[in-house]
Amino acid sequence: MDEPLEMPEPMDEFERELRQSMLRRPAPPSLKRRVLDARSRRRTERLHTRVVVWQRLAACMVLAGAIGGGFAWHHVDEQRKGEAAKQQVLTALRITNRALNEMNARLAARNRADGE
Amino acid sequence: MARDWQPDFERLLEEHQSMVFSLAMRMTGDRGLAEEIAQDVFLALDGNLKKMESPEHALFWLRRVTMSRSTDALRRRKVRGMDLWVEIEEQHGAPAEERATPLGVRLEGLLATLPEPQRAALVLRYQEDLTPDEIAKTLESPLATVKSNLQRGLKLLRAKAESNLKEFVRNGRAVGDA
Repeated sequence: MDEPLEMPEPMDEFERELRQSMLRRPAPPSLKRRVLDARSRRRTERLHTRVVVWQRLAACMVLAGAIGGGFAWHHVDEQRKGEAAKQQVLTALRITNRALNEMNARLAARNRADGE
Repeated sequence: MARDWQPDFERLLEEHQSMVFSLAMRMTGDRGLAEEIAQDVFLALDGNLKKMESPEHALFWLRRVTMSRSTDALRRRKVRGMDLWVEIEEQHGAPAEERATPLGVRLEGLLATLPEPQRAALVLRYQEDLTPDEIAKTLESPLATVKSNLQRGLKLLRAKAESNLKEFVRNGRAVGDA
């Protein structure tokens, strides 16, 4: 069964001795220096990690730029090639058209000569 | 609202290192482990420095985190099956000049044999002079549990002192009962 919750009576000799034995102990003299060293080390590591993260980010951006640029260049090149092919087809059509016209004129002239 | 108190890590370290070390030392009973815990606690403080609102808040935070880390360390050790308090005085005892009276040392040794929740409550009560309410907040335990641990711990410690330490037995009665 649980005991009543009220606190014990005012401090007796036992408690006074207990309190006396529980005074704070001085921390080891090296503790402060070790904490400060560890803190400084951790900050340096954090800074290094941050630099590495930024470097990786920059490398990723350069890579993404290069890939994007490559795709864009490829797209423009395809367009340029398409335009050149179109111009070639148009030129071929113009040549064919002129040849057909000439042929047509010759045939017409021959027909006229045969009729006379 | 603007804060007029700016936490200074080195100053907090200087002011509270003995409190943090003593709490960890009394909770774990291992001087080396206590130093590790103290170092961890202060590094955690450094990471949370911006959250500290006042010197009292920093002190409360340090006590809470120290107790919590010490309890974690004890549980880890328990899992590994180690008895922390074995040969503590021989292996990890403080230099002689740091020690309290011989009676105090023995009383502290008896405190170390108490169950962990009772020891935590008594350490905060008698080392840090906290009220049960403050102990409950520090340990994040219900007030009733803390009061019960204080009473049981003190009773058990008194009984151990009566049977182990002759200084506490006068005419067959403990001095506390006189």
